Formats: sequence, C-alpha cells, structure tokens
Amino acid sequence: MNAKRYGKIAYDGLITNNATFKLVLGTCATLGMSTSAVNSFGMGISVTVVLLLSNVLISLLRKVIPNTVRIPAFIVIIATMVTLLRMVLEKYIPDLYDAMGVFLPLIVVNCVILGRAEAFASKNPVLDSAVDGVASGLGLTFALTLIGVIREFLGSGSFFGMQITDFKIGFFTNSAGAFFVYGICIALFVLITDRVEQARRAKRARELRRPAKDAPLPSVEAEREVN
Amino acid sequence: MTVKAFFRSNAFKSLAVLIAIVLAAGALLAICNDVFYISDEERLNRTLSKIYGESVSAQPVELAEEHAQSNYGTVNSIYYITDDGNYLLNTTGVGGFRDGAGTVTLWTVIACEESTDGLRLTGIRKVVYESNEGQTYIGSLTDAFYNGFTQKNELVAAGGYFIADKNSSDALNNVAVGASQSSTAACNAVNAALSYFRSALSGGVQ
Repeated sequence: MNAKRYGKIAYDGLITNNATFKLVLGTCATLGMSTSAVNSFGMGISVTVVLLLSNVLISLLRKVIPNTVRIPAFIVIIATMVTLLRMVLEKYIPDLYDAMGVFLPLIVVNCVILGRAEAFASKNPVLDSAVDGVASGLGLTFALTLIGVIREFLGSGSFFGMQITDFKIGFFTNSAGAFFVYGICIALFVLITDRVEQARRAKRARELRRPAKDAPLPSVEAEREVN
Repeated sequence: MTVKAFFRSNAFKSLAVLIAIVLAAGALLAICNDVFYISDEERLNRTLSKIYGESVSAQPVELAEEHAQSNYGTVNSIYYITDDGNYLLNTTGVGGFRDGAGTVTLWTVIACEESTDGLRLTGIRKVVYESNEGQTYIGSLTDAFYNGFTQKNELVAAGGYFIADKNSSDALNNVAVGASQSSTAACNAVNAALSYFRSALSGGVQ
C-alpha cells in the first residue's frame, strides 16, 4: 500500500507535476544554466539536494511552525540549506561552484522549492515529503539536462563537454535560443504525456467494458444502457 | 493585555518559533563554516591547478613596492614556480571601459632562464583571466585572445610591450573584436607583469 502511495508521489513529481515542463517553475535558472549539459545536471542535482533537505525539515517542523509565520520560516530553512550547499560545493566541487555563479545563491528564491514546501511538505509526513522532494528534484534535473544537452549540441557541437562536431549554431547559446528550446521541449513533453494519458484511459475503459469470464451475458436492455 | 496573556498569545509563539529557527540555522551554519573553511594556501593551489592544468608547487616572492606600480597597472602578488623555474604574477591592468577607470586582473606566467647577468625573460607561457571592474564586454576576450600573448615570445624577449589598437599594424598588437577597451586593460595587465619582471626581478637584463 505504501509502495503504491510513494510510487504515485514519485510519478507526480517526475511527470504529472514536472516543475519545469508542466508547472513552468524555476524558469530563470533553467534558461540561465542550460548552456551546457554538465552545468544543467549540476544545477538539477543541487536543487534536488536542497529540495530533499528542506522538505524533510519543513515536514518535521510542520506542527511546530505557526501558520502566520510559515513563509518566513520556510525561507530561513531553505536559505540555510542553500548556504550549506554552497559551502560544500566550494570546498569539494569548485569547478561546478564557479560555473553556477550567481544561480547557486538564487536557488533560495527558486519557486519549485518554496512551492513544494508550501504545497506538500507542510501538510504531509516526513517520508512522503522526502519522496516528493527527490521526485520533484529529479523531474527538474531531467528537464534541465535535456535542455542543456540540446543547447550544447546545437550551440557548441559537443555532448557533456566532448566535442562531437564542428557544426555550431550560435543562436542556441544565447537567451533567445534558450527560450526556443524550452518552448519546444514543453510542447513535446505535454504532447507525449497527453498521448500516454489518453492511451491509459482508453485501456482502462476497455478493461471496464470487458465482461468477467464467469459473469452472465448482459441482457439487451443492460447493453443498451452501457452504450 | 497582561504579561501572562502575551506569553500565551499566538504572536509570542510565532516570534519564539521564528527566533528559534533562525538561531538553530545560524549555529548550524557557523559550525559548517568552520568545517568547510578553505585556507589561502588551498585557494592558491586551486588557482595554480587552473592555470597549469596540473598540481604544481609555488613559493610566494616578496613584492618590491617601488616597482609594483607602473603606467600599465599594479602588481598584486608574485609566486616562484619551483617545478619549472618560471614566475607567476597577478596583475591589474588599467585603461579599460568606463573612461579608462575599468580594470582587468590577470595571472601571467613569465618564462625565464638563468644567465650570467641574472634572470633573462624568454617569453610568456600562459595568461589566465581572474576578474574585472566595470568591463561589460569582457566575454569577448576568449581563450584565443589570451593565447595571443604567448605567440610573440621573440618580440617580448627583445623588450616589447603589447598594445590594443585596432588600427595598428604593430606586431605586438592584441585586440579582441568588439572589446578594444577591455583588450587595452588586459594588455596593460600583461605589460605590468613584464615591466615588473624587467625592472625588479631581472634587474634590467634583456
């Protein structure tokens, strides 16, 4: 039962409520950091870590924090986690720290983190919040990395820093190119998820219409009602 | 409202919880700041690794204050690279964008060799960007521009200084497209390193 619940939370975070492609949250960092796949992946993982830690802490303190001061309390907790992450990155992964630049401290104001804290972690138990944090973060990481891979390949002819071709289109390395790729990715993601959802509903409807093996044949009146 | 009522009110509870969270966060960050502290030595090693692409050992060299300032800019620090005998200089070049008030700070590796008269400058091995003040087109100064400083070693060894002039045909001309003032500050940063080396370290030996 629990596994099914966690699966649903994870599916929501990754697909149904994908922060980047479905909710269009954290756009500033998405557009700014997606010039290369490595930077995008690093940003995604950083946000995932902050989401996990802040969700767990906020969920733990949800019964202690009064409703009137919940937003400042959430922001203090998120800012603390981001500062902690900055220290760790500067100490152990200085290249990523330099590459992320101003976008690293700006994780504090990333709508995804405050959004999940307010919508989920402040109302649900710790384990559920942790699963939601990881799933939402991985959904964002997937989206960021996908945009980063596309922009890096088309704009610089490389894949995760490895030069593949000399063919480059400078447009994809600038802001307009970022918006273009972002828009195309959103359209494709929504198209694919809608098709999958339609197919799932159609399958479910077929299953509901199929009579059980030992069930009596429906009468003509009953069949008419179903149709 | 009585004192007792105040301490039982929601306002007090909210304030107390918020202060408690802030204090706990502050204590956590204070501890982590100590745990993840990066020393000056570690920062220097990182810079050296970034410049050389590998780990090298360096010794700080005392700065001669009388030679540190020149028309080109300021020498901030000097290191002797024990692995290859070269000198690494951190310099800030003047004359950049913002009516010449902008600056560009670079790391310059000056190659040299021992001669009978003292140290002889043989060229520039590498130039790496560090920071800038007020340069909006600093992004136009690409790796190709910085590598340009290492392509004129014969002229540098003969006592030349770099210039950034689009209209000049001087062989030591080095200017990035669209960023002539930032190029000027960068050239001046390299020139400040050359000037210091020639006046203070090599003692005038060409």
